Amino acid sequence: MPFEEVNSKVVRARVSPASPVLARRGAMLGYSGQVTFRPVHGQGRGIGGFAGAALSGESNPMMATEGQGEVLYGYKGLHVTVLELDGGAPLVCEADRLLVHDAGLQTSVQFLGSGGIKQAIGGAMTGQGLFTTNVHGRGSVALLSHGGAFPLQLNGTQVGVDPQAYVGHVGQLTVDLAAKVGLRDVVGRGSGEAFQLRIGGYGTVYVQASEQKF
Amino acid sequence: MTYPPGNPYGGQPGPGGNPYGQPQPGYGQPPPGYGQPSPGYGQPPPGYGQPQPGYGGPPQPAASPTGTTLNPRTLPDDDNVNPYVFCVSLNGDWFMSKGAMLAYYGDVRFEAVTEYSSVQGWVAARFSSPVYVQDWVVATGHGKVLIGDRGFDLNSYDLDDGNLTIKAGNLCAFSPQLELKQSIVPGFVTLIGTGKFIASSNGPVIFVEPPFRADPEALLGWADCPSPSVHHDAQWMTQNIRAMISGALGRASGEERQYDFTGTGTILLQSSEVAREDPAVLRLVESQTQLLTDSQAGSLGQRLIARAQQQH
Repeated sequence: MPFEEVNSKVVRARVSPASPVLARRGAMLGYSGQVTFRPVHGQGRGIGGFAGAALSGESNPMMATEGQGEVLYGYKGLHVTVLELDGGAPLVCEADRLLVHDAGLQTSVQFLGSGGIKQAIGGAMTGQGLFTTNVHGRGSVALLSHGGAFPLQLNGTQVGVDPQAYVGHVGQLTVDLAAKVGLRDVVGRGSGEAFQLRIGGYGTVYVQASEQKF
Repeated sequence: MTYPPGNPYGGQPGPGGNPYGQPQPGYGQPPPGYGQPSPGYGQPPPGYGQPQPGYGGPPQPAASPTGTTLNPRTLPDDDNVNPYVFCVSLNGDWFMSKGAMLAYYGDVRFEAVTEYSSVQGWVAARFSSPVYVQDWVVATGHGKVLIGDRGFDLNSYDLDDGNLTIKAGNLCAFSPQLELKQSIVPGFVTLIGTGKFIASSNGPVIFVEPPFRADPEALLGWADCPSPSVHHDAQWMTQNIRAMISGALGRASGEERQYDFTGTGTILLQSSEVAREDPAVLRLVESQTQLLTDSQAGSLGQRLIARAQQQH
């Protein structure tokens, strides 16, 4: 069941016994109907599931919303972007950006450092985190962003994104961290853009209109 | 000094008459229906205040074309300058929350409500909330006053012999024809009568009808409803062990607690905000402690000390 954007900061999910949703805890704004909320722990199932989440810190307290009714979700006045996943490539994003998603979707934690120690260190330096969350399956996802997220389509081209403005991506994409740290950065007179995510391939990158982390 | 009710919702409708403006090309992937309030959410019943529909979405301020320099004559009369700034055309007195004023033209004085009420006896009758009186001023004179609040969306509401209860921290200004009273629900105030008031919301206001349960942080206010009751989600309490333990200590996560609205009326919601510290809440709670006996007050004090130490 796709989510409906009530406005740029609030989505409405129709919940039925056949289609429960998982949402970030504390994100429920209000509801009508017979709806119950149940705290859930961990991140999906299988390899990279609960154990991975506990290890990486890449887990947010979530709650399952079940029953029959309409629920409004929003979080701290952040902007919301609704994506429809077609079951092809997974959505890659950080766990704290997940506002609400269909309970039928699977989430798992991915270790970014598998690309090599350089990438792992890069993650630590940009605040991007060593772990990100993959969302697999067919269904709707609502992502949080500061100032609204816009999509960048990539067709074999490459784009550079500020790590703080990066929200997530869908598709056959490779993410590399490019560091251009010069002497000016060491003495605090750099451009402030020393680190960039170089993203290339085929797919869509979502970028937020702000460098504020949350 | 009345405000013309003829066209109270602003003379500058957003592009295409779309109340929330149109998303910019390439902005997200708005599904069909974005920007059009669905039945039951965007349609407040007639007869009580409606927020100004005359603004575009955040990316596209419609009321004020960018690049135009405004002056006292081109500033709108009692209308939004852009989604985040409202211009009050002052001719007499208005109540304004401290810090809401951004700028003003003309001969305007701002006086504390406490001082002004000693000069003008009617003020005390209109502002019957000792808890909030310290946070408000009276703007008096002639001119144009621009108000804003944290960059939130500002809406003006016209009450016609009605009542609307709103979160005290989101109320920015109201005309003195209205009467302000403290709501029984802590942190909320009720406006009664006929007149105009300005309130902020994080994102556009969402209107819903009861039966509805709202998260206390997302609740902006309600009109014509009976006061809400507090609903506790029993299933949540039994399933979340951590919440149960903290609940036993007199604190809960807050997630299992909602305000339950029944009856008829309209509920106003916003995207939940990062709560601003409301200094009046402390005064409210403190005044309630008079209900306690001396020994009860002592044990409450010990519990509060323990809580303050835990957070360090």
